[in-house]
Amino acid sequence: MPAVELSHVSKSFGSLRAVDDVSFNVDRGEIFGLLGPNGAGKTTTIRILLDIFKPDHGQVAVLGGPMTEEKKNHIGYLPEERGLYQDIPVDRCLQYLATLKGLSLTEAQKRISEYLERFDLASYRRKKMKELSKGMQQKAQLISTLVHEPELVIVDEPFSALDPINTQMIKDLLREQRDRGVCIVMCTHQMHQVEELCDRLVLIDQGKAVLYGKLDEIRKQFSGQDILVKAQTTLPTLSGVARVAGQNGATRLSLAAGVTPQDVLRQLVQLNVPVEQFEIAVPTLDEIFIRVVQGEEEGQE
Amino acid sequence: MSKFFRVMVYEYTRHVLRWRFLLGLLSIPLFIVVVLGISILSTELQTNNDPIGYVDLASVFADPVPLPAEEGLFTSSVDILPFSTENLARQALEGGQIQGYFVLSADYLTSTEVRLVAYDPPEERVQSRFSDFLRLNLLKNQPPQIVSRLTDGTVFAIQSADGSRRMVESDWFNLLVPFAVGLIFMMVVFTSGGYLMQAVVEEKENRTMEIIITSVSPGQLMAGKIIGNLGVGLTQLMFWMLFVVVIVLFGRGRVDWLDRISVSADFLLLVAVIMLPTFVMIGSLMAAVGATVTEAREAQQISGLFSLPIAIPYWLTYQIMTNPNGPVAVGLSFFPLTAPVTLTMRAGFTQIPTAQLVLNVALLMACAVGALWMAARAFRMGMLSYGKKITLREILGRPRTSLKPREAVR
Repeated sequence: MPAVELSHVSKSFGSLRAVDDVSFNVDRGEIFGLLGPNGAGKTTTIRILLDIFKPDHGQVAVLGGPMTEEKKNHIGYLPEERGLYQDIPVDRCLQYLATLKGLSLTEAQKRISEYLERFDLASYRRKKMKELSKGMQQKAQLISTLVHEPELVIVDEPFSALDPINTQMIKDLLREQRDRGVCIVMCTHQMHQVEELCDRLVLIDQGKAVLYGKLDEIRKQFSGQDILVKAQTTLPTLSGVARVAGQNGATRLSLAAGVTPQDVLRQLVQLNVPVEQFEIAVPTLDEIFIRVVQGEEEGQE
Repeated sequence: MSKFFRVMVYEYTRHVLRWRFLLGLLSIPLFIVVVLGISILSTELQTNNDPIGYVDLASVFADPVPLPAEEGLFTSSVDILPFSTENLARQALEGGQIQGYFVLSADYLTSTEVRLVAYDPPEERVQSRFSDFLRLNLLKNQPPQIVSRLTDGTVFAIQSADGSRRMVESDWFNLLVPFAVGLIFMMVVFTSGGYLMQAVVEEKENRTMEIIITSVSPGQLMAGKIIGNLGVGLTQLMFWMLFVVVIVLFGRGRVDWLDRISVSADFLLLVAVIMLPTFVMIGSLMAAVGATVTEAREAQQISGLFSLPIAIPYWLTYQIMTNPNGPVAVGLSFFPLTAPVTLTMRAGFTQIPTAQLVLNVALLMACAVGALWMAARAFRMGMLSYGKKITLREILGRPRTSLKPREAVR
């Protein structure tokens, strides 16, 4: 049974349709990317999922059914609008938030100590939250998201304000959570992070789900007729190639209609070209994102 | 432990465990102690306890009856010394042994003429003590009832027709009780309401709302906040009341008017019935303001709009005292923001008609429920509108959705 199921969900604010017939499922033990340009409806979708907003239409099931007060104890949420109590010490703030997730004070103290050690924040535990840097507050917020060992984790831009070392640590942590069977919904604009972490994704634009599925399949779907070739010598003129362009030290060949990569490879072998790299040019998620979003906008015009 | 309880404990301890709160708590008793101390010191420095003398040319004080010593809290009795001649009395005055002397003329019993000789006029209490001494000795051969009647003077008492209420002239201090109770309650309501407002604004300022409402239900959250912050106000109230009780217990037997303070159970019950919905109403209004604005400073400015009307009855004290069932007093009792203090004051001066009282309290309760509804609405609409204000029109508008389009964060 999926941990999250959204089925034909719509939500309007006055005349503005923020979410329009969006459906997707997220399984346990996967990292799921929730993508979209600014104002696409991602945050509204998350708020519907968390029962902050009621949908106008459609069904939402979280951890096997409608949201309940008890289920809130099994959900960890890192909102886009970061927020922690600024005027109290770090450990007191985290303890309060952890106890609101159903942990006993003793258990909360124990787990928070472990996380503070792991996140290099142990020496800051008595400091007021406002005395911490933005990156440290981000880590503290992640602790409050994970400390109660949730079954469903929703993280909105989890890498903002983090340096590369801490970014890597958070990635490892998210993978670790996934391996424990936790369902993770990650909302971000950083496409390379999605490529690195996510198994599946949904792309929302103007309130609608315009892409949904496994990352590999989506990339294949957008791969087209391009191949990347790197050779020790300059490439000869090849038949069936419509366009040639350089890309990161390799050559990107756009094939003419009806020509297959095997046709090109055969020619290279016959011409005895010393090939170092030959691969189907799969578009990056950035490219797919831009292509889909711009395509949607052009479609609107 | 339920989440409501955790929110309540958090809200309570975040204020009570701060130095700022402790200083605020102690500041009023400390202020009173300092003011009292300065007053006592000043009185002590100005008080002259030297004996006062008298010269009895009318032979009124042959074999005088001594006046019992009167030890006050901060003063002691002045001795009254006889002198056989005015010359001897003058010598004693010039020698600094007495602060002055009275001379009863030879025809005192017909002229009642008494002359005072002193460098500086003695305090009124000294003159009053000599008058008592004189009266006691003039009446020494009369039966005790006559003496008592003449020395105590006339006692005017006003009593209600049903005999349930009685006011004696000398119990003037009891008139101040309704004022004091109203004032203390105002302070507690505004302190607690202020904390509540601050707590809601801080949730917005700290942007913690999304995390909190995905952990605890809005009902539990608001209930925890309200009870927790009410607890802060009650802690202050209890501490200050304890201080007052200690002062009264200490002063009883030492300060005359403290012995006569009495507060009826009916009055306390009435205060409780009035003040409970008032607290809910003011607390809810404060919370609503907190939910609609973006900064604590702005919230404080707006809350002044409904803080001022509550104090209006104090400005109209004369009208309420002289005519507690008149149109001004009754009118103010029907306006929810002025009703709490007006009703408390009226209860001190008159018997409020039961039907009117029931109507007033019912109106207050209805307003409290309305304010709660508005606070809940403002809270729901304002909680995710970071950095944006919610207008009264939007709060009272048609409940189309929890957020208006311009507040929607996609």
